Amino acid sequence: MTAFFELSNVTKNFGGVQAVSSMSFSIAKGELTGLMGPNGAGKTTIFNLISGVYDPDEGSILFKGEDLVPLKTYQVTSRGIARTFQNLRLFQRSTVLENVMTSAQYHIHYTFAEGMTHLGRWRRKEKEIHEKSMDLLSRVGLADRAEQAAGTLPYGHQRRLEIARALALDPELLLLDEPAAGMNAEEVGSLNVLIRDIHRDFNLTTLVIEHHMDLVMEICPHIICMNFGAKIAEGTPDEIQNHPEVLRAYLGEEEVE
Amino acid sequence: MGTLLQQIINGLSLGSVYALIAVGYSLVYSILLFSNFAHGGFLVIGGYICYGILKTFGTNIWLAGGLSLAGAGIAAVLTERLAYRPIRERTNVTLYLLIASMGMSIVIENIFVIVAGGRFRALPPVIPTAPINFFGFATTSAFDLLSLVSAVVFLGALQLFLLKTRWGLAIRAAAYDLRTAGLMGVNVNRLISIVFFVAGALAAVGGIFLSVRYTLYPQLGAITIKAFVAAVIGGLGSLPGAVVGSLILGLAEMLTAGFISSQMRDLVVFSMLVITLLVKPTGLFGKSVSEKV
Amino acid sequence: MSGYTEGIIILLCINAIAAMGVSLLTGFTGIFSLGHAAYMALGAYTTAILTIQHGVHWFPAILCGGIVAVVVAYLIGVPTLRLLGDYYAIASIGLGEAIRLILENWQSVTRGARGYPGIDPYTTLPVAAGIFIVLAIGMFNLINSRFGRACKACRDDYIASSLLGFNTARIRVVSLMISAFYCGVAGALLGGFLSFIQPVMFDMLKSTELTAVVVFGGLGSMSGALLGTAVITLVTELFRPISQYRMLIYGAVLVIVMVIRPEGIMGNRELLSWIKAPFRRKA
Repeated sequence: MTAFFELSNVTKNFGGVQAVSSMSFSIAKGELTGLMGPNGAGKTTIFNLISGVYDPDEGSILFKGEDLVPLKTYQVTSRGIARTFQNLRLFQRSTVLENVMTSAQYHIHYTFAEGMTHLGRWRRKEKEIHEKSMDLLSRVGLADRAEQAAGTLPYGHQRRLEIARALALDPELLLLDEPAAGMNAEEVGSLNVLIRDIHRDFNLTTLVIEHHMDLVMEICPHIICMNFGAKIAEGTPDEIQNHPEVLRAYLGEEEVE
Repeated sequence: MGTLLQQIINGLSLGSVYALIAVGYSLVYSILLFSNFAHGGFLVIGGYICYGILKTFGTNIWLAGGLSLAGAGIAAVLTERLAYRPIRERTNVTLYLLIASMGMSIVIENIFVIVAGGRFRALPPVIPTAPINFFGFATTSAFDLLSLVSAVVFLGALQLFLLKTRWGLAIRAAAYDLRTAGLMGVNVNRLISIVFFVAGALAAVGGIFLSVRYTLYPQLGAITIKAFVAAVIGGLGSLPGAVVGSLILGLAEMLTAGFISSQMRDLVVFSMLVITLLVKPTGLFGKSVSEKV
Repeated sequence: MSGYTEGIIILLCINAIAAMGVSLLTGFTGIFSLGHAAYMALGAYTTAILTIQHGVHWFPAILCGGIVAVVVAYLIGVPTLRLLGDYYAIASIGLGEAIRLILENWQSVTRGARGYPGIDPYTTLPVAAGIFIVLAIGMFNLINSRFGRACKACRDDYIASSLLGFNTARIRVVSLMISAFYCGVAGALLGGFLSFIQPVMFDMLKSTELTAVVVFGGLGSMSGALLGTAVITLVTELFRPISQYRMLIYGAVLVIVMVIRPEGIMGNRELLSWIKAPFRRKA
C-alpha cells in the first residue's frame, strides 16, 4: 500500500549549493508531523518543493499515489494541499475577512455570469463564503477583527490569519511554515493548542516546520529532523530528544535562541 | 553582394545605436525590476543639449558631446531622485514606478515641445557622413562606421566599468539581489544614482547619433520602443542580451529596408517581438524571474 | 438640453466605459498597459466597417467590435501574462504601434491615415447612457464577486494567490479580455459619436490619457475611475484653449500622484461603500 504522503530521494540544488539532498520521508494519513532543524537546514525549501514553487532536480513527491512534481502550484492546491508562509504573505491592504474569503471561495462556485449580474446563485453562495470565513475567523480567534486591514494586525494574529486562510481551502494536508516565528512564549502556548485542535477537528494531516525544538516536541508525535539539507533523524519525541546527531545539530544554536 | 554587405554594415551600425539605448534600459531593469519608460527622454535631452551647444558655442563636437552625456546623465539621476526614489522608499509595488516613469516620459517630451517647439532640427554637420568605399565591394557612409565604432567603444568602457571597478562589482551584485547588496554594506541609493547616470549618458550617445541619422525632434524618444523590443528579444534585464537583441533588430530592419521595402521595417520589428513572446518569451539570454518564498 | 451639453455627456459615458476597462486591468489586477487605445481602435474600425460596408445594424456591430478587441487581447495576453515582469507592458506598446501601422497601410479596408468618414451617428445620448449603465452595473457587480477578489489577490501577491489555488495567468488574461471588451465598445461608440475615425485618434497619447484617468481616480477603486473620468474630461474641455500644456499636465499628474498619493483620490475604497456595507453584511 502506498503512503498517504511520501517524499523519496528528493534533491534540490541552487547554483552549486545543495539545499536538499536525497531527502526521503513519509507521512501516514491523520498524522501530526514536525519537521525540525536549525536555520538554513532546508526546511522551507522542502515546502517550496512540495507546493510546486520549485521543481526538484531529482526524486518524486507522492500524495495519495500521485506525483506532485509535474504539477503547477495552483494544481497542487487543487489536490488538497494548503500551506502558510514563513515570511507572511497576507493581502495586506484587504481586510482580515476578505483575506479568508479569497480562499474560502475556492470550493464555493458560481458562474462568471452570475457574478456579473448578481443573479442566480450569487447571493446564496456569497453568503456561504462569508459564513464559512467568519466561522474560520472565530475558530482562530479573529472574528472581532474581521473588518480591520490585515496589514495592521499584530504579528501573532497575522500568523493565525494565515492559518485560517489555508484552512478555508479545506485541505487534507496542511503545511505550516514556522507558525510560531516572532511570537512570545504565551502566544506560542495558545498556538500549540490551536494547531493540535484544528488538526483533530478538521481531520487533517499536518506537517509543521519549526526550528524551536520545544514546540515540535510538545505537539508532534512524529518528528523528522534535518540539517544541511539531509535527514539526520526521525522518530518519536523521546527518540529525537536523545539522538546524538540532533543534539550535535542543535548544540550552540540553543544558546543563541 | 555589394548591397548585402552595405546593408549589413548599416544594420550593425543602427543596431549598435539601439544597443547603447537598450543596455542602459536593461541595466536599470536588472536593478529595479521595472521598465523605465522615461529612458527615451534621456536620449532626447542628450540630443538637444548637443544641438544647443553646437549652435551656441561653435562646433566642437567633443565638448558638445561630453556636456550632452553629462547633462543626460544628471537628468537621469534627477529623474530617479525626484520621481522614483520617493516611491521606492515607501513601497515595493513596481506598478507605481512604471506609471511614474510613463509620466516622466511625457513631461520630458512636452517640455521640449513647449520650449524648443515641435520642429525637426538637423544637427550641424560635425559628424562626417561622406561615403566610404570598401575595397570596391561596397559603399557605406563614414557616419555608419563612426557610430558603430563609438558604440563599441562605449559598450567596451561599460564592460570594463562593470568588471574592473568596485562600483561595477556592486552593480553586478545588486542585479542579482538588490536587498542583499544593501545588506552587504553597499550604499544602495548611490548605486542606483550611478546606474541611472550611466544609463542616461549611454542614451545621450544614442540620441546624438539618432539625431544625425533622423534629425532631432521632441518625440525622438519614441524610438526607444525599438530598444525595448531588442531587450525583450535578448532577454529582459540581460546586458549581453540587450546588445545581441539590438544587433539582430538593426540587421533585420536594414535588410528589410534594403531588400523588401522600407515601409515593412517596423512591421518586421513587431513581428519579431511577437515571435519572441510566443516562442521564447524570456528571450535569448533571459531567465524567468522568480521570487523568494 | 443643448447639443453641446449632450455631446459632453455622451463623451463622458464613452470615456467612462473605457476607464472602467483600464481600471479593472491596472487598478484591480495590477497590470500596466500602454496600448489600450488600440483596443478602442479595433472596436471603432470593426463597427465602422461592419455597419458601412456590410450593412450590419449598429448594435450587433458594436458587440462585434468588443469581441474583436477581446480576441486580440487573448492572443497577446496568453504569451505575455504568464510571465512575471514587464512583458505585457512592452507588448502593449508593440500592439499600439502595430495596430496603427495596419490601420494606416491597409488602405482597401481601413481607408488609411486620412480616416474613415461617414459612420452612422448611432451614438445618441440614450444609446451611450444605456450602454454605460449596463456595463457599469456589470463591472461593479464583477468586482464584488469571486472574480474581483481573485484579481485583487493576483495583484497583491502573485505567489500567495497561486498557492491559494488561483490560476493566476488565467485570471490575468481574463481580466485583460474584459478590459479590452470595455475599450472596444467605447471605441465603437466614439466612432458613432464623431461619425469619423482616424488612426491618430487611438495613438499612445490616448492610451496614456486612459491610464492617467484611472491613476488619478484611484488604483483599485472603480468609482474612482468614474470620478477621474468626470474630472479629466471636464478639465480637458475647460482648458481646450491651452491644449499644448495638456500632455505636460497629464504627465505631471501621473508623477505627482504616484509620489504623493499612489492610491489616487479614492484610495482603494469605493464611493458607495457606505451603501453597500449594510447589504454586504447581510449577504
